Amino acid sequence: MTHLEIENLASDYLEGLLDPSLRSTVEAHLTGCAACREMMGDVRHALELCRAAEDVEPKPWLVSKILMATIGEREPTWVERVIAFLRPALQPRVAYPIAMTVFTFSIIVNAAGLNLRSLRFEDLNPRTWVGRADRQGHLMIARVEKFCYDLRMVVEIESRFRQLRGQPQGQEEETPKPAAPAGGSSQGAPSDRTMAANEGAWFEVAARSEPALPTIGNQPASTKVGRSQIP
Amino acid sequence: MDQDLELLHRCLAGENSAWEGLLSVYTRKIYNLCYRFTGRAVEAEDLTQEVFIKIFQTLQSFDAAQGSFSTWLHRVARNHLVDHYRRTKKDRMTGSIEDDLDTLVERPSPGAGPIGHLEERERKDQLQRALDRLSPDLREAVVLRDLHDLDYVEIAQVLGVPQGTVKSRINRGRLELARVLKRMEGMRGPAEAGSEP
Repeated sequence: MTHLEIENLASDYLEGLLDPSLRSTVEAHLTGCAACREMMGDVRHALELCRAAEDVEPKPWLVSKILMATIGEREPTWVERVIAFLRPALQPRVAYPIAMTVFTFSIIVNAAGLNLRSLRFEDLNPRTWVGRADRQGHLMIARVEKFCYDLRMVVEIESRFRQLRGQPQGQEEETPKPAAPAGGSSQGAPSDRTMAANEGAWFEVAARSEPALPTIGNQPASTKVGRSQIP
Repeated sequence: MDQDLELLHRCLAGENSAWEGLLSVYTRKIYNLCYRFTGRAVEAEDLTQEVFIKIFQTLQSFDAAQGSFSTWLHRVARNHLVDHYRRTKKDRMTGSIEDDLDTLVERPSPGAGPIGHLEERERKDQLQRALDRLSPDLREAVVLRDLHDLDYVEIAQVLGVPQGTVKSRINRGRLELARVLKRMEGMRGPAEAGSEP
């Protein structure tokens, strides 16, 4: 095999593409030929240098330049447009006043009784707003008063019931006490008598207004206590 | 490669994001191809841009039956580089090869600095300078095979020559590259020896 033939087979030999017989022939030549051995070493070195070479990084703006040159400036999507539009408003110094304005407006609309879905011409008159706001305010105050009154009534009724149910048991418990003074319960403390009288007075009122209430413990209420017993 | 075709179809349908996708995949490769041919970053950037403009304009002419999109892209880039080489031949002839070699010799020795990546950079520059010495035919064959890892069939499609010619060019290119590298190292060796006290 000549030197020229070895040169022509150098790439195939280094890439392992030669069949075994040809490969052994080349290797036999390389063993005996220093010049070809050196040449093969140089080519191997060049090949290794190429394979080890890393890609060169293009400039980061190259893609943008190509995009500009081909499709021009990209059209922003509607989401990007909305974000770009809202970006100044999302700053705290702008967002807070906007939020307060919206909050105040919603209060005014609510107080004025405006229905934004079916606005009429008279709804735009400030006098209408004031009149409705005044009405709404009075209605609200009336509702609050009524609610408080109802609540007080319920609490009073519950407390009276509790007292009336607890009284017989209290008397039964007090009766067996040996240290009780003579005269029994009729000679009790004035506070007890006052309380019993108050209960009677309330119960009488309740009996007039509510016919279901008078019987407690299978006894008519009027037989237990009455207005005449108030001291 | 199916991904390339999908991007291509979407791109032809007018979807700009698909074109962005193709660019993000291939800009680096084409830039490296251009850089290996020219050896200058700014020139490689301009050439990459020109190649992709050409690709964008002729996207509809791509025929999947004749090869992959990557091969077609490389072929268009290669043809553009050849045109560019012919256009700028006179400009290059004003520069002397020996001047370049002198500048290489005057560079500081790789062993002088403690930083390893400088040596790596030196090797890269050396390879690039050696590639610049090759004729365009041999250079493109070596670059496509050994730097871009294209197989013989793909290179034959890109260059438009038979596979036998591709193998021959690659072999001759490697031999020539080895000689140039050896000569450059031989020139640098005495210079380094002379710089030592």
